[in-house]
Amino acid sequence: MKQKFRNALRTHAEDLQRDWQLYLLLAPMIIWFALFLYKPMYGLLIAFKDFSIFRGIERSPWVGFAHFEALFQNDMFIRAFWNTITISGLGLIFAFPVPIILALMFNEVQNAVARRWAQTIVYLPHFISVVIVAGIVINFLSPSTGVVNLLLTRLGFEPIYFLTKPEWFRPVFISSSVWKEAGFESIVYLAAIAGVSPTLYESARVDGASRWQMMWRITLPCILPTIIIMLIIRIGNLVEVGFEYIILLYRPPTYETSDVVSTFIYRTGLQGTQYDLATAAGLFNAVIAFVLVYSANRISRKVSSTSLW
Amino acid sequence: MSAFHKGISVLALAAAMMTASPGWSQETTKITDDPLELTIHFHFRDKYVYSEKWPVEQKAAELTNVHVRNVASLATTSSRDAFNLLIASGNLPDIVGGDASGGLKEDFIRYGLEGAFIPLDDLIEEHAPHLKAFFDGHPEIRRAISGPDGNLYFIPYVPDGKFSRGWFIRQDWLDKLGLKQPETPEEVHEVLKAFRDKDPNGNGIKDEVPYFAREEVDAIRLINLWDARVSGSERYGDFAVYDGQLRHPWAEENYKTGIAHVAQWYKEGLIDKEIFTRGARSREYLLGNNLGGMTHDWFASTSTYNDALSGKIEGFALRPMLPPKTVSGQRFEDARRLQVQPAGWAISATNEHPVETIKYFDFWFSEQGRILSNYGVDGLTYEMVDGKPQFKKEILGNKDPVNAQLWAVGAQIPRGYWQTYDYERQWTNKIALQGIAMYEECNCLKQEFLGVSLNAEEKAVYDRYWPSLLTYMTEMQQTWVLGAQDINATWDVYKKRLAELGYDKVIAMMQSAYDRQYGAAR
Repeated sequence: MKQKFRNALRTHAEDLQRDWQLYLLLAPMIIWFALFLYKPMYGLLIAFKDFSIFRGIERSPWVGFAHFEALFQNDMFIRAFWNTITISGLGLIFAFPVPIILALMFNEVQNAVARRWAQTIVYLPHFISVVIVAGIVINFLSPSTGVVNLLLTRLGFEPIYFLTKPEWFRPVFISSSVWKEAGFESIVYLAAIAGVSPTLYESARVDGASRWQMMWRITLPCILPTIIIMLIIRIGNLVEVGFEYIILLYRPPTYETSDVVSTFIYRTGLQGTQYDLATAAGLFNAVIAFVLVYSANRISRKVSSTSLW
Repeated sequence: MSAFHKGISVLALAAAMMTASPGWSQETTKITDDPLELTIHFHFRDKYVYSEKWPVEQKAAELTNVHVRNVASLATTSSRDAFNLLIASGNLPDIVGGDASGGLKEDFIRYGLEGAFIPLDDLIEEHAPHLKAFFDGHPEIRRAISGPDGNLYFIPYVPDGKFSRGWFIRQDWLDKLGLKQPETPEEVHEVLKAFRDKDPNGNGIKDEVPYFAREEVDAIRLINLWDARVSGSERYGDFAVYDGQLRHPWAEENYKTGIAHVAQWYKEGLIDKEIFTRGARSREYLLGNNLGGMTHDWFASTSTYNDALSGKIEGFALRPMLPPKTVSGQRFEDARRLQVQPAGWAISATNEHPVETIKYFDFWFSEQGRILSNYGVDGLTYEMVDGKPQFKKEILGNKDPVNAQLWAVGAQIPRGYWQTYDYERQWTNKIALQGIAMYEECNCLKQEFLGVSLNAEEKAVYDRYWPSLLTYMTEMQQTWVLGAQDINATWDVYKKRLAELGYDKVIAMMQSAYDRQYGAAR
């Protein structure tokens, strides 16, 4: 046993000597992870403590699962949790396919100039700060001066005060997020499409396949692994919703559908300075996310043999 | 922390003493014979820190021989972050002070109880005659800022002046339509309808916004007309005292009546359609474009629109008016200035000179200290006229607001000091002063809930139930006003839901804390 261990150590040392340049390249990333992701995990302890910033993490007394109990007995947290899942779930259904469709469409545009223009236009919103996007959305949807309501009144409808109607929050949030991010996200799929071997298309053309058939039978199956990886990542983020954007768009009358876990954490944890409770909520979120990613990955490995790890 | 004996500093001090005006009796203000240096962490208004360069600070050092050296970093743009980081570091300077979002009162008390700051009661009793006199004269303020153990942990910034906001109406619109200032809820209704229908701005378009407000608290201010209160203090959605009983105004029967009417008026187009979303610029926009008719806002800043818009809008006259009589025939004004600010300064447990420090704190409550902290330095910002400080013409005529100029020299900053309203009166618009005088005469302010200091058990109840309750109440309030739900139909559900969310537990807890803290007063 000891001998085996020593051997293993020796081979590692040899590896290190031989490939030291590669390890050197890897080092900054490992240090970054250790410093900014693993070290702060120590702070998760406060989810189980009655935390006071003056006493510090060590000297604050343990309280066990008290904060978690308080969370699960809190209707507002439960509501925020389901709202998060619903918004992300709807986002998955409606927003996830958009960049794929966009990429496929770009791929079919023959005129290079037109294609470049179209791409630039859909990428642009990604580079606008969420604060400005929220401002644009609020102005567009204003009941007195917004473009949308002006159109509605022209067409003979009553103006709608979108941002105060709980039933409108999700459509507004998801569609404006799609506008902002779909173009940029399509880059990944475009790259995947560029990697598809041209010989496949050539032989298909020889066999008389239509463009529709080529897209359906060649492009899509070839970029499927990329789609699945993106889907797994997305599922891992199911319990995360763009927090700043929600804060900027939500109003008390729409809390019913718009209050999510991160905004709940913000209101109770940071504004109400209950850091311990907020950490418990965050930890719970992280556990759910881990379970989701893990199961998505397992299912995908079984079904399609594509997986993250 | 340590007395410093550097030759240069002593020389500089001697030079400063020679130029000091001879009128001050030096025995009364000198705290130590040797110059004493104290360190301070003082971050305020999210962008300033204490400075040794302030003329006010230099004058105070000259008078007291106590030199205060700042250790707070200017690198952060959040006083709250600066304070929390300091506490988390555990390495406290002699004095910690300033202000922060959400107020520092609870922090001073909480960390004081945990041992970061020392209780000040005995020190004040023995060494601080001016502070003692102040607290003896203002027992309610002492009670309001005491911890749950009855001790004082900080010396507060005590503002002066009672009135913050009041009602304002476009007097020129009233005159044009041949109407009088409304006196009853019915008359308010008639006036707002006339503003909506009779085109008082004369542009031929029905674009007037009869009632508007800049802040959420004023958005539902009209519920006052049905005797309902918006908040028990200047803080948003605060508890209120009803004959010694603590309750929340948003769970009262008259709140239901008030909101029902406000919702009706909203539906009739008498209240700004975007009242909850237009935000801070609504006053500037709606007044500047000659659209807004009536509002409830701060006296001083709202009155200045009369000057700012006089050349732009013909005959523009936005005048303060008395609160209209409510349905029960009384007049009351719900909004008032805080009597004590959750800001000030405290002595850390590691301070080796607590006696000198409390004497230094006491200096700011003395006559000289008050003039210095309110008006700045003699000859620089003010001059004595007939024995009273009078701001210099350059200061009053400067394009920067007077308070901003005073901050720049170290006056009117949230140290533990006692403000005097006269400082503000000297540069407040005449129309605002008339309004304030009118309200003063009316004597219709409601009793202010000064807040309670919760012990650990009470805090646990508060933290557990209150954030959800306040969220739910705010949510329903706006839902009702905007007409998504009818308050008369859903009031019972609302009350039931409040009970489920722990309303009664919170009220019982608050009441016992209130009785402990203010019991002696009743």
